[in-house]
Amino acid sequence: MQIEINNIQVKIEDGETIIEACRRIGLDIPSLCWSKNAVHKSSCMVCAVRNLTNGQIIPSCTTLPTEGMHIDTESDEVKGVRKMSLDLLLSDHRADCEAPCSLVCPEGLDVEAMLNSYDKDNLEDALGLIKHAFQLPVLACDTCKAPCEKACRRRNVDTAVSIRQIIKEITEMFDASEVKEVENAVIEKKMFQSKLGRFTDGEKQRLKETVSSKSSCLHCACDGRSGCSLRQYAGDYQIKRPRYNMGSAMPVMTKENIKGQLWFEQAKCIRCGLCVYNSNNGFTFKDRGFGMEVILPEENKSNVPEGIESLCPTGALYLNVD
Amino acid sequence: MSGCNCENNDKLSYEQIIATTDGIIERVGTSPEVVIPLLQAIQDEFSYLASEAIERIYEKTEIDRAQLISVSTFYSQFRHIPYGQHLIKVCAGTACHVKGANNVYDAFTRELKIEGDSITTEDQLFSIEKVACLGCCTLAPVVQIDEKIYGHVLPGKVNEVIATFLDEQETNKEKENKAGNYSIAGEVRLGMGSCCQASGSSDIYLELKKKSDELGISIDIKSVGCVGVCNQVPLIDVVLQDGSVKRYPNVKASEIKEILHHHFKSGSLLKRIKNSIINRVDTYHTDTTWDNVVWKPEHERVELIDSFLSEQKHISTEGYGYLAPLDLDEYIANKGFESLKKVIASYSADEVLSNILDSGIRGRGGGGFPTGEKMKIVASSDQSEKYVICNGDEGDPGAFMDRMILESYPFRVIEGMLIEAYAVGATKGLFYIRAEYPLAVQRIRKALDLCRERNLIGERILGGEYSFDISIFEGAGAFVCGEETALIASIEGDRGFPKQKPPFPAVEGLNAMPTLVNNVETLSQIPFIIRNGGDKYAEIGTENSKGTKVFALAGKIKNGGLIEVPMGISLNQIVEEIGGGVEGGEKLKAVQVGGPSGGCIPAHLCDVHVDFDSFNQMGAMMGSGGLVVLSESDCMVDVARYFLSFTCEESCGKCTFCRVGIRRMLDILDNICQGKAKLEDIDTLEELANNVKISSLCGLGKTAPNPVLTTLKYFRHEYEEHVNGVCKTGKCKDLINYVVNDACIGCTKCAKACPVDAIQYEPYEKHSIQLNDCVKCGLCVDVCEFDAIEKRAVKELVKE
Repeated sequence: MQIEINNIQVKIEDGETIIEACRRIGLDIPSLCWSKNAVHKSSCMVCAVRNLTNGQIIPSCTTLPTEGMHIDTESDEVKGVRKMSLDLLLSDHRADCEAPCSLVCPEGLDVEAMLNSYDKDNLEDALGLIKHAFQLPVLACDTCKAPCEKACRRRNVDTAVSIRQIIKEITEMFDASEVKEVENAVIEKKMFQSKLGRFTDGEKQRLKETVSSKSSCLHCACDGRSGCSLRQYAGDYQIKRPRYNMGSAMPVMTKENIKGQLWFEQAKCIRCGLCVYNSNNGFTFKDRGFGMEVILPEENKSNVPEGIESLCPTGALYLNVD
Repeated sequence: MSGCNCENNDKLSYEQIIATTDGIIERVGTSPEVVIPLLQAIQDEFSYLASEAIERIYEKTEIDRAQLISVSTFYSQFRHIPYGQHLIKVCAGTACHVKGANNVYDAFTRELKIEGDSITTEDQLFSIEKVACLGCCTLAPVVQIDEKIYGHVLPGKVNEVIATFLDEQETNKEKENKAGNYSIAGEVRLGMGSCCQASGSSDIYLELKKKSDELGISIDIKSVGCVGVCNQVPLIDVVLQDGSVKRYPNVKASEIKEILHHHFKSGSLLKRIKNSIINRVDTYHTDTTWDNVVWKPEHERVELIDSFLSEQKHISTEGYGYLAPLDLDEYIANKGFESLKKVIASYSADEVLSNILDSGIRGRGGGGFPTGEKMKIVASSDQSEKYVICNGDEGDPGAFMDRMILESYPFRVIEGMLIEAYAVGATKGLFYIRAEYPLAVQRIRKALDLCRERNLIGERILGGEYSFDISIFEGAGAFVCGEETALIASIEGDRGFPKQKPPFPAVEGLNAMPTLVNNVETLSQIPFIIRNGGDKYAEIGTENSKGTKVFALAGKIKNGGLIEVPMGISLNQIVEEIGGGVEGGEKLKAVQVGGPSGGCIPAHLCDVHVDFDSFNQMGAMMGSGGLVVLSESDCMVDVARYFLSFTCEESCGKCTFCRVGIRRMLDILDNICQGKAKLEDIDTLEELANNVKISSLCGLGKTAPNPVLTTLKYFRHEYEEHVNGVCKTGKCKDLINYVVNDACIGCTKCAKACPVDAIQYEPYEKHSIQLNDCVKCGLCVDVCEFDAIEKRAVKELVKE
C-alpha cells in the first residue's frame, strides 16, 4: 500500500499504523497513550495528524492507512492541536516536576533530595549533598536570604520547612570533611516545569494531617520525572506556563505503594488507560467525564504485572529505588 | 426502577442477602457481558448496590473487581450508597431548565433541610437528585417522586408537592372495578403516554371507571398512545355509536361525570331519570354552569388542537389518538404488519433494500447517514451472525420522541426492525432502551410477547423461511451510549467508551459481527416505505432530506407537544402555526435545535427549512429532534452553559479534548456568567470550542461545542455584555440583585414567602431585601402583586 505523508510517497508495511510509518521514515510524532505492542485505546490526541483526503484530524496511533491517503504531520494547525492537547492535559496535572526549593537554590543544592535523606535518617548522604553544593558547608546558608523557604510548598499549608536550620543542624552534627560528596540528580532548570499551583483548603487540611516527615517536607519533586514524556513534549512544543485555569479533582500528593519498589501517584495520571488495559483485574477506571480517575483497588495490587511503570507516559507510576 | 425496598434492608440478614443475590445470579448469568443487567437486578432488589451482594458477584461470577468498578461508576443509574425511602428526581432537561428547574431543586433541598454534599434527609425519608430529562418537557418544570410525576412545579409549591405525595402515600387509593352488564354505549379514548400520565390521566382513567359505573353507563375505556398535544392533556376523545368523535382537551376529573352524562344514556330507565335529576341539581348548585365543559362550543374546545395538527403529517405516529399501543389486532386492522407480510411473501432481500435506498431516508438519530447505505454494508457481509439494534437511548435533555414512539407504537418499530433484519439477513435483534423509560421497556416487552405468540417473530416467521428473534437491553444511564460504538460497548458489559471508526459497526459491531444500529424513529418509518414504495416516500420532504421528522416542541411555546412534520417545513411555521407562537406573547429570540449537539438558530433565521443539511450549515444539527423555543427573556450564554454542563457531565472521559477541553470551556463560561471574565476569554473560549470540535474522536465531543459556537456566532454581544457585568434577562444570578421599588405597598407577602428570611419588613412600609442573605430564588417576585420587586444589575446598583 502506498500513502503520502507530507507529500512524500511512503510504502506501508503490513499492519502498520500511521504513527509507525511516520516514525519509520524519521518523522517525530509525539504520543502518550500509545505504546508499541501494548493494548491501547487512543485518547490523548498528542499524536494528531491531518487526513488531507477528508480534512479530518485523526490520531495517528490507531488509524490504519488506506490506499492513497494523504497525511499532513507538520502544518501549524496540526501542531496547534497537539499543543492544545498538551495544554489541556497540563491544566489537569497538579504536580511539580522539580521541587521549587531545589530550583531556586543559588548554590544549586538539591534541597529536596537532601531533605529526603534527612527524613530517612540518612544524615551522611544529606551532608554529602550539602558538601557537593557548598565549599564551606558550615557557613552554607548564613548569608543567604533563603529563597528556598519562600518557594517551599509547605508554606502554603502551614509554615515552610526550616531548610536553613536543618542544614545547620546537619553540618554541626558531623564533620563535613569526613563524609563523601554525593552527586545530585540533575535538576533540569531549563526544561518545562509543571507547577502544582495553590492548595485548596481541603487539601491543606489533608496534607497537614497526613504528611508528618521529620522535616515536614512534602517532597514535591516528581519521582518519575526522568521518564516523563509529558514534560518532554511540553518542552518540545514550547509550553511555558499553564494556559488554562488549573482546576482538578485529583488528590494531589498522594503517593501509594503498590508493591516492592512500584509506586502510584494518581494526581499525575493523564488517564490514558495503558495501565488499565494492560493489567488483568488490576488498575481500573472510576467515574466518568472530567472526574474520571484511574484507581487500583487494594485487592487488585497483587495483579499488577511487572514492568507496568514502563508503559506510564508520566510520573504517575514509577519505581522508587530507595 | 422498581419500588424502593430499603426500609427492609436493615432487617435483611447477611444470609438473606446472599441467598437473594445467588438467585439473581442464577437468573441473569455469570459471564462478563451480563454485568449491567446483573447490577440492575441487584439494585432493583436492594435499592442500591449492596456491598455484600457485590462481593458475592466476585465470588460466583466471571466478573472481576476491575470490571465491576469500571462499569458501576460509569453509569449514572447505579447507586453505591443507600438512598432514602422516597426518591425525588428533579428534571434538569432543557425545557425544565429554561423554566427554572435549578430554583425548584434548591427549593426542595431547603424545604427538606438537605445540606452540603448530602442528598438524603436526616430521617432517611427522601433523597433528591437531578436527572437529565424525564421526557415530560411540556409540563416543565417537572419533578418525579418515586413513580409519581408532578408537572408545573414552582419553587413556592414544593411544600405542597411533598405534602400531596405524603398524603397519597397514606390514603392508597383503592381501585374500583365493578363490572357492568349493560350493552356498550360507546368508547372513550384516553392518552396514556408518560406525559399524559404525568398530567393526571391515570386519575382521569380511574374517574371514568368510577363514574361510568355510578351512572350505569357501560363504555369502553381505551388507553391509547400519545396524541402529541401534550399541552392539552389530559385529553379524552368520546366516540359515539355513530362513530363520530367529540374531543375534550385539558379535562378535569370533576368534569368526567358531566361529559359522560351528556353523551351516554344509562342502561336502565330508573337510573336514567335519577341521573338526570341529580345532574341538574349538581349543575345548579355549583358555579360551573356557565363555564361548563360540555356547553362550550366544540370549535372553541378544539380549535387549538386542530391548528396544532394541521401542518403535521403522520408516518411514525400514524394512528395517533386511536391506536391502542398494545392491541395487536387493531394494529393489524390498520395496515400493520402488511409490509412485513408483503416482504416475506414476495420480496427478495435486495428488493427491500432497493426500496429503502429509493426512499432516500436518512438516520433520525443525529448524524443523518443514509439508512439504505448502512444496510447495504451489513447486507454485503457474509458473516454467519449479524445483528440489528434499535437505538432507544434517547438521552438529549428536551427530547422525548423516541420514548413516545416506543410507548405508543411498539408494533410499528418491531415491524420496521423485522423488515430491516430481513433485508440484511440479520440473525438477532435487540432493543436498547434507556433506563429512564420504564413504560417504554414494559410496552416493548409485552409487544414482543404478543408478536411471538402470532409467529411474527421467532422461528420461521409467518410460515416463511425467515427466523429472527428480538430481545431487550436496558441502558443504565449514559448519554454517550447513544453513540453506536459506545452503545455496543455497553451491551458487551463494558463502560460506554466509543471506539474509533472505521471500522464501522456495520462492518464490525457487536461481538465483532456486522451490526445495523438504527434509531427508533428511523425504524418506525420503514413499514410506510415498504407499504407505499420507496419512491412514494421520496415525494415527501426536500431534495436531500426525505420523509417526515418527529420533533419534541417545548420551551417558551404556547402549545408544546410532539409533532411529526414533513421535512422542508420552516421553523417559523412550526413555531407559529403548530405551536401557536411564543408563550405569554413574548418575542421569539431563538430556537434551540438538536439538544446538546445542536445549536441555537436566531429568530431572524427561523425561516430555515427543516433539513439535515441546512441545519448543519447553520452550525446546528437535527440531532434527535428536540426543539426548544427561547424567548426574549432567555439568556443565550446561560443556555450555552446549560448544554455544556450537560455534555461535561456526560463525557465518557476517554479523550483529552472532550474530557478536559469541555471542562475548560465550562470554566470560562462559568466565569462569564459570574461577570469574572475578561474580553479575551471569549476568544479563548472560541478557540477551545473549535479545537474540541475538530479533535474529538466521537460524535459527543465533535458536537458538544455547537451550542457555544452558534451562540457566539449569533449572540456574541450577549457574551460581551456579560463580561461587562450585565445579563439583560437577569438569568445569571450572580449578575443581578433583587431590589424593592417604590411600587411596594408594604403588604408583607414577599417577606412571608422568602425561604431565607432575607426581606426586612414593617407592615405598610416599603420593604427591603438584605442582599447578603438573598438566595435569588425569585419567590418574592412570583408572589408580589404590585410588580414591586425587580431584578437589577449588580453593577448598576454599585454605581448608585
